[in-house]
Amino acid sequence: MEFEEEEEFVESKPRYSETEKYRIFDKEFMPHIDSMYNFAFRLTNDEDDANDLVQDTYMKAFRFINSFQEGTNAKAWLFRILKNSFINDYRKKSKEPSKVDYQEVETVYNSTEDAEFESTSDLRIEAVQDMIGDEVAMALNGLPVDFRTVIILCDIEGFTYEEMAKILDIPIGTVRSRLHRARNLLKEKLRSYAKSMGYKELR
Amino acid sequence: MAECSSNVLMKEECENHEKCMKMIQAVLDGSASKEEIEHFKSNIDVCKPCFDGYQLEKSIKDCLQTKVEKKCCPQNTVDQLKAKIGIGLLLLGGFLIKLKVIQEIFLS
Repeated sequence: MEFEEEEEFVESKPRYSETEKYRIFDKEFMPHIDSMYNFAFRLTNDEDDANDLVQDTYMKAFRFINSFQEGTNAKAWLFRILKNSFINDYRKKSKEPSKVDYQEVETVYNSTEDAEFESTSDLRIEAVQDMIGDEVAMALNGLPVDFRTVIILCDIEGFTYEEMAKILDIPIGTVRSRLHRARNLLKEKLRSYAKSMGYKELR
Repeated sequence: MAECSSNVLMKEECENHEKCMKMIQAVLDGSASKEEIEHFKSNIDVCKPCFDGYQLEKSIKDCLQTKVEKKCCPQNTVDQLKAKIGIGLLLLGGFLIKLKVIQEIFLS
């Protein structure tokens, strides 16, 4: 699936004066910069790349500010730009393996869904509760980026499925399915950590 | 069949567990429909696999929300960005214009 870089920017007549542009940027966009940086960092796993991605996103947001309707969901709009910038720019430049094909990944996990549940159902709540943040973060970082993305958006940033569907440009049903599979994979990672910590499995 | 603390008999097996788990996750995520929420409320205490699944999903979600460090954007990045956009300059410009207008009002 290829994302068009400018897809989210619908060229429109300038609605905002220069002063309004700066006001909107300062009041509606800047308050989300920490969340944006955190998202960028979780996607890239690198502070410098996260910095570049955030700056690039905000520059684009300012450049195309007339496409933003004041009073609508600025955070979701910015996240969508950042996600597209990551896919279109960062991934092309990075040494990371070529991007994951959503359909391919989902087909794989569809076919192994039942087996997956069997292997993850033995994760104990106590083991999860005893884990430290770094262990959970490592498990999260170990997921393919497309699955990592849905978990970050939902569990860390608190977006609704509807917002995630807009950010990721996919139907809500796909958000649900992808999240479900992402969580099964995360449980598998957490189970491995739990096992290495010496927790006994349930079965 | 198992018995839960509230003396309600619980099913040991769930014939639609994958489907149920998607629904349970939607409930935890605050994105479930009214029907799903009703279904969840009326069934969660009678199905052990779903009850256990709910507890585990909830603990993982809590863990992600509270234990994973939320990185803050370095001030340097914020400053660089504002410099690029020229927002500081504009705010200063706006302030000076206001000041000038006020001065002119009082002087006239």
